[in-house]
Amino acid sequence: MTNSDGDHMGVDRRSVLRMAGVALGTWLLPGSGLAAKPKVGGTLVHLVQPEVPTLATFLSTSIPVSQAGTRCYAGLLEYNFDLSPKPSLAESWSVTDQGRTVTFKLRPGIKFHDGKPLTSADVQFSIMEVLKKFHPRAPNSFKEVQQIDTPDPLTAVLRLDKPAPYMMMVLSGFETPIVPKHLFAGTDIKNSKYANEPVGAGPFKFVEWKRGQYIRFDRFGDYFKKDQPHLERVVVRSIADTATRSAVLEKGEVHLAGFGAVPYSDVIQLSKLPHITVTKKGYESSSPIVQIDFNTRKAPFDNKKVRQAVAYAMERKFIIDKIWFGFGRVATGPINSNFKASGLYSADVKNYEVANGLEIANRLLDEAGFKRNASGVRFEVTHDVTPYGEEWQRFGEYAKQRLDQIGIKVTLRYEDVATWLRRVYTDYDFQFTSNWLQTFPDPVIGVHRMHHSASIRKGTVFVNNTGWSSPKTDELMDKAAVEPDAVKRAQLYKEFQQIVVDECAITWIHELEFPTVYNNKFVDIIDSALGVLGNFDRAHMKA
Amino acid sequence: MSVARKRLVYAARRLGQAAPIVFGIIVTNFFLLQLAPGDAADVLAGEAGSATPEYMAMLRERFGLDKPVATQLFYYVKNVLLLDLGFSFRHNMPVLFLILERLGPTLLLMGATLVLSVGAGVSLGLLAATRVGSWRDTMISILAIVSYATPLFWVGLMLIVAFSLKLDWLPATGMESVGMFYSGWERFVDIARHLVLPAVTLSLFYMALYTRLMRAAMIEQAGMDYVTTARAKGLTEGRVTFHHILRNALLPVITMAGVQMGNLLGGSVIVESVFGWPGLGLLAFQSLFARDFNLLLGIFLLSACLVVIVNLLVDLFYTFLDPRIEVR
Repeated sequence: MTNSDGDHMGVDRRSVLRMAGVALGTWLLPGSGLAAKPKVGGTLVHLVQPEVPTLATFLSTSIPVSQAGTRCYAGLLEYNFDLSPKPSLAESWSVTDQGRTVTFKLRPGIKFHDGKPLTSADVQFSIMEVLKKFHPRAPNSFKEVQQIDTPDPLTAVLRLDKPAPYMMMVLSGFETPIVPKHLFAGTDIKNSKYANEPVGAGPFKFVEWKRGQYIRFDRFGDYFKKDQPHLERVVVRSIADTATRSAVLEKGEVHLAGFGAVPYSDVIQLSKLPHITVTKKGYESSSPIVQIDFNTRKAPFDNKKVRQAVAYAMERKFIIDKIWFGFGRVATGPINSNFKASGLYSADVKNYEVANGLEIANRLLDEAGFKRNASGVRFEVTHDVTPYGEEWQRFGEYAKQRLDQIGIKVTLRYEDVATWLRRVYTDYDFQFTSNWLQTFPDPVIGVHRMHHSASIRKGTVFVNNTGWSSPKTDELMDKAAVEPDAVKRAQLYKEFQQIVVDECAITWIHELEFPTVYNNKFVDIIDSALGVLGNFDRAHMKA
Repeated sequence: MSVARKRLVYAARRLGQAAPIVFGIIVTNFFLLQLAPGDAADVLAGEAGSATPEYMAMLRERFGLDKPVATQLFYYVKNVLLLDLGFSFRHNMPVLFLILERLGPTLLLMGATLVLSVGAGVSLGLLAATRVGSWRDTMISILAIVSYATPLFWVGLMLIVAFSLKLDWLPATGMESVGMFYSGWERFVDIARHLVLPAVTLSLFYMALYTRLMRAAMIEQAGMDYVTTARAKGLTEGRVTFHHILRNALLPVITMAGVQMGNLLGGSVIVESVFGWPGLGLLAFQSLFARDFNLLLGIFLLSACLVVIVNLLVDLFYTFLDPRIEVR
């Protein structure tokens, strides 16, 4: 099998000269090249880390699976950078009956990659029979949906038990992929062969997967958006070694890497190269925050003053600048400042990032009854380092040194992912641990799970592991989940943030900014709140 | 009994003896893996970034992790005897297919490394031993020690920086050029070009071993009586070296190479990691962290079987090489 169109994904002399010539021409002719429609062409090589295990985004939301699988699937809506929704498979929608009925009107003429039409029956099947049953988050996101009516092939009516304003935020092709009913109905969905040979309605169709080498997606000619996508092909590759990843980006053998695939130190170096661009946009739907979780079930962190002392001791700005190389924003609480636009974020909470933090911390520990002994130590604890990268090892080392100054002797503990998850979410055999969580496009999906009493579930990961909850915050969260009025909702969350920040069962350090590194011969790759989890349908090669 | 028939009987007996060994390996590995805290459901849910308890229970039930350990072992052994290595839930594929996909590249890398390291090692050892104590000998010995001591990942990265980034003579990673989809002769050349750097990196380490070994063996042989006899008979230095000493000195090198081949079959995690080579080593390494036990056990089983076979082949090869060694 040969590819005869001579498409080179690397930077070879002829294409460079051609591009240089075109660039020169466009520079000489003022105003030209701007209004021209992007022409079809180009193979984008996307680096995904760790290696992609499967393409079944309807079964798994793991980050590598999502980065690869979202090429093929489309969703009802897409989201701008400010998280406002815009049409995708659905050309319009309406929320009626005080939030209990949501009606979607699909575009006519949408086709799956196998040529069959996409109708409301597929929407109904995907949400009710696939996602609600097998997806990690959908059972929560769609828990109010009792049934979906399909009065005609282009209309889907979701009937909810109670209003669910958060549900409107999870309808992207990433979070809620629409799968073909005619291929899935009656089959064993958990073990579906379409897990690794996806058929969807997205802009790129799956062609082949050579494990350990690459996954190839070609342009889908019958994509529902006319004249899109512009790229000829997207190829996904994984490279285990971090230094090699930076090397191949520099060489131009791969063109795109996000979600921390490139270490921060290398990002700074790569950004200086003329053919590389670095952007922090595209993580608004993820809104991750770095935090420290305290186990409030045992001493010493069952004492609020001790927890607050640790919170005061952390210098968040220093951590961002020196450990995360300047990428990040100081966090004030559980809700990311990306939600400022929607009003759900409030900065009117207890502020732990103060100049005299150490002084206050020392005072609080004295008040809590932990006096310093002869060698200046108040008590000893073990700090678990979350195993998701080197930055957290540095963060652990920083925490140890910093807490030493307030008399807390820290021993660091490093384990692999499975062991750490077991310890922190099943055995609860920890005192305090670093962690980072995606807060997702609505607090109901990302934030409630860390604070609600119903989320204290042994064996389930990334839920309430501190053991702290209160009837008041439970009530606030339950009310906010079903409150359709934006102003009232904001008020509920403001009170919620004030309480949890003061109680300090978790202290928030900074809002993570993942740099996405890409070769700037491609443009418009990152054009939505989903970033590298978007569909790439507008991406194209620079003229 | 003719020699050929003796060899066949010997081989059959060895393979028969190997069966309980391999079985013991499976059971031991199975229990060793149980020692690791956390399971595949934890990891998958952890990568999902969130999961409902129902989702995790469903995963555990699907993976068979909710059954007692003895039951799991029983089913696993039963399946292996039926040549069913199980299903990798992480990859949604049968383990056998996953391994077979990666076996080819592993064998390719291993084969190239073997040829290169033994070839270079023997040659350099020869060159060093024929002029013991000379400038040539010292240089080769230094080269051997430096190659042995330098960390593989550093060598690999430096080769990439030099030959790929700066000189642009060779590709940096992978086994084939992505997006080119060559076939026939072009594909052969493409793979060969990708193979150069990883094979050289891995070979440097083993070459050092063979060089030292060859040199020592040749020096030892050169002091033997039969060499003096050969010279007394009037044979040229060249014939004495190549026809007599070399053949005897090769025996220890073959032993070592046989042992190393068993190692190489497990793949080299470091080289595969640096060069993005789609081999079994990296697959096994990742499977451990993902707690994908079916896949891991499958790779262990395959490695064990291959080591047994390779050891047998090396032993048989001795009998060809040295007529004094008899098959019993």
